[in-house]
Formats: sequence, C-alpha cells, structure tokens
Amino acid sequence: MKLAVLLVLATIAFLILGFVFPVHQASTPGIVSGEALPGVGGTGNTPEAAVRSLLGDVQAHDWSQAYSLLANANDVDKEAFIHDINGNYGSLRTFSSLEGSGTRVLNQSGDQALVRADMHWSTAVGPIYEVRELRVVQQGGNWKVVWPLEKQATVPPQVVPVNYLRWDVIYRGARDDWGTQNVDSPQVRIVSMNAVQHGNTLVVVGEVVNEDTVPAFVDMNAILVGKNGQDLDQENSFDKIQHTLLPKQVSPYRIDFPGFNLSQVKSVRMDAKAMLVPASADPVIAVLDQHEQENVLGNKVLSGNLLNESGRTVNIAQVLATYYDSNGKVIWVSDGYVDRALLPQTPEPFAVEMPDNTVGKVQSYRVTVNHYIRQQS
Amino acid sequence: MATTLGLTTEAPRFYKEPQRRGAPLYAIVLLALAIHGPLLFMQVQVNSFDTNFHIFFASHYAQHWWNPWNLKWFAGFSQTTYPPLEHQWMALISHLIGLNMAYAVVQLLGVVLLVVGIYRFARLFVDDRSASFAAIGCIFLGALAFLLYEAGQLSTTVSAALMFNALPYFYEWCRHARGKALFKGWMIALAGAAVHHVTLIFGAVLFAIPVVWLAVLDRNDEPETSLGAVIGRALFFTGLTAAGTGVVLLPYWLAILQHPIKQIPIPHASRSNLLLNGINGFNYFIVPYGTMLLAFPYIFIRGSQRRRLRPLLVGFWVTFIFGLGGTTPIPQWALGRAFDILTFERFTFWATLLACPFLGLLAAEMIDRFRRTGAIIMGAAAVASIGLALGWLTANPYKPATGFDVNPVVEFLNRDGHFNYRYLTLGFGNELSKVGTYTVASSVDGEYNSARLLPEFTHYGVGQLTSAKYYGTAGMASLRAMLAHANRYGLKYIFVHDPYYDPLLEFAGWRKIETFDGGLITAWSKESVPPAHEIPSDAVPPPWQGLMWGTLPMATSILAIFFVLVLPERRRAAGTVEFPATVQPAYREAK
Repeated sequence: MKLAVLLVLATIAFLILGFVFPVHQASTPGIVSGEALPGVGGTGNTPEAAVRSLLGDVQAHDWSQAYSLLANANDVDKEAFIHDINGNYGSLRTFSSLEGSGTRVLNQSGDQALVRADMHWSTAVGPIYEVRELRVVQQGGNWKVVWPLEKQATVPPQVVPVNYLRWDVIYRGARDDWGTQNVDSPQVRIVSMNAVQHGNTLVVVGEVVNEDTVPAFVDMNAILVGKNGQDLDQENSFDKIQHTLLPKQVSPYRIDFPGFNLSQVKSVRMDAKAMLVPASADPVIAVLDQHEQENVLGNKVLSGNLLNESGRTVNIAQVLATYYDSNGKVIWVSDGYVDRALLPQTPEPFAVEMPDNTVGKVQSYRVTVNHYIRQQS
Repeated sequence: MATTLGLTTEAPRFYKEPQRRGAPLYAIVLLALAIHGPLLFMQVQVNSFDTNFHIFFASHYAQHWWNPWNLKWFAGFSQTTYPPLEHQWMALISHLIGLNMAYAVVQLLGVVLLVVGIYRFARLFVDDRSASFAAIGCIFLGALAFLLYEAGQLSTTVSAALMFNALPYFYEWCRHARGKALFKGWMIALAGAAVHHVTLIFGAVLFAIPVVWLAVLDRNDEPETSLGAVIGRALFFTGLTAAGTGVVLLPYWLAILQHPIKQIPIPHASRSNLLLNGINGFNYFIVPYGTMLLAFPYIFIRGSQRRRLRPLLVGFWVTFIFGLGGTTPIPQWALGRAFDILTFERFTFWATLLACPFLGLLAAEMIDRFRRTGAIIMGAAAVASIGLALGWLTANPYKPATGFDVNPVVEFLNRDGHFNYRYLTLGFGNELSKVGTYTVASSVDGEYNSARLLPEFTHYGVGQLTSAKYYGTAGMASLRAMLAHANRYGLKYIFVHDPYYDPLLEFAGWRKIETFDGGLITAWSKESVPPAHEIPSDAVPPPWQGLMWGTLPMATSILAIFFVLVLPERRRAAGTVEFPATVQPAYREAK
C-alpha cells in the first residue's frame, strides 16, 4: 500500500506543480481557452485585474460574463456591446479574434482608475493592434470597467441611385480561366519607382497608372539585381496596391524585401502585369478630413474619415496612403485596414501610421481605398 | 494453453491456476473482429484527423515504391521522414481493394495483433484467465476507439500492437536466454519500429522497463538467473534492436540528422493543462480512460500489494503522468524540446494498455466474487467505455471539418493543364490529404509537420495552411508569406471552403473563378503566376535510400511472420503439482 500512497501523493504534487510551473504554448487551434476549475485564474480585485478579466472573457467569447463586468451596463445595450467588440455587418472585426492583450494602469485615485489595454487581434487579413484607454470605477467593492461604446449613426431610409460606370467582359467559354481571353492586355505604366531603406527591409514604392480605356487588374513584381548582375530576390506588391484600376486611375504600390540592404543592390527590375477584368466604379468611397496627428502612444498617424457614398455596405475597407516629398516623389506607402464596416452615407474614421523616417520629409499625401464586399465576392 | 495465430509463448506461472478458465484467444480475436471489423469497413475512420494522411502516404508507395520523394506536398518532401511499413502494406493491398479498404484491413490487423499482444503481455503478470479478460478489455478501451476513429492514428496502434507482441519474447530472452525468443522478439520489435518511430523511441522504453524489472524479480525462480545476466541480456536485446533499427530506418535517421526539427512549436491541445479546459480534459482524459477511471483505486491498491505487479504499476503510472501532457510540468521537464513536437494522447493510449492486466485481474475477481452480476458490471463498463468514445465522435465540438465533396476540386486540378501549377486549399481540414491523394497536381501545403522545409512554414508556429486561421496571428502570417511568394512556387489555384479567407485573397490579388459543391467550395486564381517548377532541395533521397526504404522495412515484417510461424514454441506441460507431492516431479517443464 505504501507504493500506492506514494504514487497518489506524487500525482497530486505534480498536478499542483502544473499550476506553479504552467506549460507555455500558443493557443490551441480551434479551441478557445477557458477555465474548468472554478476559481482557477480568478479576477482579483484591482482595476488592472478587472480589465484583464474583461479581456479574458472577450477572448473566450463569454459575452455574458464580459458584460457583467461593465460599470455602465445600464447605458450600454448588451447587443451593442457585443457588436462593438465582435463586429457586425460582415466587418473585419467579425473575422477577428482577440489573441492577446496587455494592461497598464495609467493613473488611479480613490475609486477611479484609468487603464490602458493593448489588444492584439488576429484577423483574416493579418494582425491588428488596438489600444484603448478604459476608465475603471469601484462599485460595491468591485472594480468594473466603463466601456466607451461608440454608437453607430443611423441613416434615414432613402433611395441611392447608382449611375456609375461599369465594365462587363464576355468570356470565351465557361471552362476558360479568368484572364485568358483573346484580347490585348490593358496599357498600364509605372509612373514612379523609388527604393528606400526601412530598418532591415528594402522597400520599393511608387505609382502605376492604367492608361487604357478599359479596367485593368494589375499586379506589380520587382526583382532585385545584385552588384554582380545576379537576381537577389523577387517579391510582389501583395495587398499594398489597388489591384483593380479603372481607366486613368492611379494606384500606389509597395514591395518589401526583408533582409536586403540598398548597398547590395545594383538595380531593381520592375514588372507590371495587367489583365482585362470586369469592374465597376461603384461603390465610391470618399476620403474626408485627412490630417496628421499623434495617436495615444505618441506615434505620428495620418487620420481622417471614409464616407461610403453608395447604398451598399462595404464590409472591409483598406486605406492606402501615398506620401510625397517636395519634388512630388513617392517616399512611402503605408496601409491599414478599417475594422468596422462602411455603412452607406456614414463616415467611419481611419488612421494609418507614418514611419519616423518620413516625418519632416512629407510634403503631401494621397489616400486611396480598396474595398471588399461580401456579397460580390 | 492457447496457441492461436502461433503467437503464444511460454509465460511464468506464479499463481495457483484458477479452476475456471478464461476465454480462449481465438474467441477474443473473433470478438475483436466483430466489434472493430464492421466499424472499420463501414469507414467510420474516414472522418478522423489522420486517416487521410496515412492513405496519402500509402498512395505514394502504391505508385512510386522505390522513390520516397513525394512532389505532392510542400513543393516536394521526403517520405523517409516517416516510417513506411504500414503504408507499404496498405499500398500493396490497395492494388486489390483500393486505398480506403486497404486502410481498414491494415488497421484491423493491427487491432487483432494488439489484442493478442495484450493477452501475451498480461500473461507475464497475471494468470491465463485474467490475461484473457485483459485482452477482452483491450477491445473496448476508449483510448483505442479514440485513436482508431477520431484520431486515425494507424501507426501508433499498429506499432504498439507489435511492441506488445515482442515483449513476452523479450522477457523470455532475459530470463531463459533462448535464441528463438531473441530472434522473434527482435524481428517483431524491428517491424514495430518500421511502423512508427515515436512508439519505438518513447513507447518501447515505457513498455520494456516493467518487463526487465519483472525479469529481475523473477530471477530466483527456476531456472535461476543472476541479476547481471538479466540486465546484460536486456542490454544486448536493446543494443541489437537499436542497431537493427539504425539499419532498417537508416534513411529516416539521415533525413532527421540532415534537417533536425527546428521549426517553431505548433500548439496542440494534448499539451495543454487538461484541468483548465473542460473540452480538452474530456477529449484527452475522460474519453480515453472511460470507465477505467473507476478501476484506478483497484489498480493502485492491487498493484502495490503484489510484488510482481509493482513494475507494471510504476510503468502505468509514469505513462499516465506523461499522458496528462501539460497538466503537470513533468513531461516538459523530462522531454525538453521533444515536448513541443510530441502529442500526448498516445501516452494515454499506452497507459490504458499497460493497465489492461489490472483490468483482467479485476474482472476475474469480480466474476469470482459476484458471479453473473460481476460479469454484467464489467461488461457494461467495457461497453460504456467504447460507447462513450464512439458517441464523442459526433458530440466533439472540434471534430474535423468534413461533409463536403472534394471530387470537383480533384477533377479541376487534373484537367486542362491546371496541374502545371501548384495549389492550396483553405478550410479543408484533413480533406487536404484526400485532395492530395487523388490529384496529380502539387500543393505547397501538407499535413505532416515534420517534413516541412519551406521557410514560409518553419518560421511560424503553424501546422497546415489549410487551417491557418486556427493558429491565429502566426497562421495568418504564414499564409500571407506563402501567398506573397505565389510566383516563386507557381501557386496559382486556391480552393476555399471557408469564406473567412476571402478578404485576404481578394486584397492580395486573387480572383474567384469557379464554385463547386453548391457554392461550398470556391476556386480562386491569380493569372500572373508562372507555371510551377521544381524547387531545389537537398532533402531528395538518393536512389540507394529509395532501394533500402522499399526493401528493409517490408523485409522485417516478412521475417517476423516467418520466424513466428516457422520456429516452434517451447510448450509447458499442463498439470498442477500437489504439495506435499505424492510423486517426485522430475521437471516442471517439458519440451
């Protein structure tokens, strides 16, 4: 019996050690982390613990528990709270999950505190980092979070006429691949190209224009040529370009070469591939109130509002910002995804970062918008 | 004494033989066939996590027996990174009955061998009757059903079956130094190694130590053996097996040495703390152990009471602790870097196998004490265990995504020169392997983590790109990296079974070109992508390795069958010697 007792005691000790020395690994695919034992990983009673607990519930998609931690639950509708975090209208937030978060108490006095929450979202287009400063108050001995709900404006019912141009293409046959029609490719031209060093990444930026009278689907490729004439690397613009260009439309592009330095490169060989595709000028998304400012972290950003002038919801919008120096030369292209859907006739704020090495050189900028509409895709 | 399948061997007798006899081995085998045969031939396992993976590997051997370089995944990878024996048997049988049925046949053979192995292994520790109950209990193990029908771990189950059949020979060699036992045990162990490397490296050690310990305990019984002789024979057998494995799996070792697994760890639920997630705990603890959990007090009490059961108890307990994965820090401390590569449900399976002799003993005691009621209780508990595991197949919220038709995707890739480009599936789960099996086109993705050499995989903690979203930021970063290098790999076609990926594809320049299966699957294309070309790799095995790979593993299994069938067993004369003896027994054993 001694052996049995010894093994049982050892098992209990090992289980306790499992909490003292937890095994660290990333979240398991498809499985939301949670608690099986009541009280394990409890909330604690501090402002920071309250925010951590709220974010933990958001991560576990336990909306009821998260809502119960709000100090202003009387002012915030539960559905609106869930939509604010989890998104709606097919926005990017609906394709997102909170992967991690950090908290820091900015100030605390009496029964009030201000806590900064750094949220790391995993989304369908890549990671998104969000910073919120949350007011935390003590209610009945417990710290609770005042959720700063941004109410979405509602637009009155109306008819929005669509009279923008649209180009359709008659394909050769049902079994033909897209883009293999027996027609000439649209004429596109690289307007500018500039290679800049950004940290340990060599970045090629510039603009391309569709000079044709039909829409073009454009893909930009660049090959770095080394000092000895050998090709060093080949990359493409990926999502740092507006792929579908209407006639005479100009798009910025950016191609990154991680791990390469300008000093290694003799030249850059550019290649713009264009194909005829059906396209529409609708929806039109206007860019309003563009201005430079600093975000809560003190970083320089270009911010403004997007206005969807059509009658359809744009689910996901991507902002491409082109920065020019005093000579009109493209010196940087940055991009960012808007995590809320663009509702018709409703302004939606955006902000894209401006890297430090462009500050002071930027003379002007231009913002273009890519979009994804679920029903069309 | 049962001699079914020619696999019986002499076992020590240290208990008074009970008057009531257990079930004969042939009846137990028939029961195993009756329970698992219909399930396997009904293809219940096709929706499991890994079945399609094994079929994919077998399909390559069916077409390219001598060339382990497979171009269909990861733009080319070597199948020498995974022991081939079970896949090669499937490949051979598939020429007669197709790949799916070949899988069922090989898996069913594995189940039969496992039942026989548990019977023979249990006889080392308990009497024949209890051993027969242990073998019956093995058929109904929740862990076995879990691995067969939910995990699809063909290799783990077949390799464990072979290892458990090798152990009695190992014991016999350690105790009696019989050459026949050495050859048989050695060859079966090599065949087991040729099925699954993980079972060889980790499982065999956990299985063998209790057996060596038992041989040490038994050394003073007739015939007496010194401690040094027992240990020396055990080390000799281990060395011989290591050397044999080194030769039989030489291409595997060379591949691993050339490209050690350095990729960022890929998360797996079995490595988590099972106490902190109810679903994980249910999936990796409650379901595999099932009603065996009720027998835990008996296992610990009886195991510590009887001297000869203590090695088995300690072996079971160590394996049990490892099976808890990240619930305790012990596996991580003991395994180090290997902790992040292994999955731990197999340790739980091994633990349940090591517990089977205790279950047999419990069943015998229950039946002796409560007669029919005891039998009913034990039978109901066994049925409940397998029932829970089978029911969990449908109730598990994280079961693999299935239920859509991938044939249109296969047809698309196989026509009009589409196979000149590489492809990728998104949201296909384990159907990825099914597409790979039946298309001639090459993918940049694949289901075998250890074979991946492309930097777009190894720099991120992601398993399959088809399930990228489940790996969070790392998964999507890996997918973005792969899509960004589409031109490099000739990656033109992407098939999507989850609209989650649509926005990224659209922003990255892919265009939807077709829909399949009523819109459940969409095909996307990027026209600027050039045709795929061969990606240079230093991992391509030379022809001599292909020759070894196609010859030696299969030879081990054929030689094992040959030795077992041809070399006769040493048989024990039946009978009980009364004490005080009325006649002088000359020998306890007779040839």
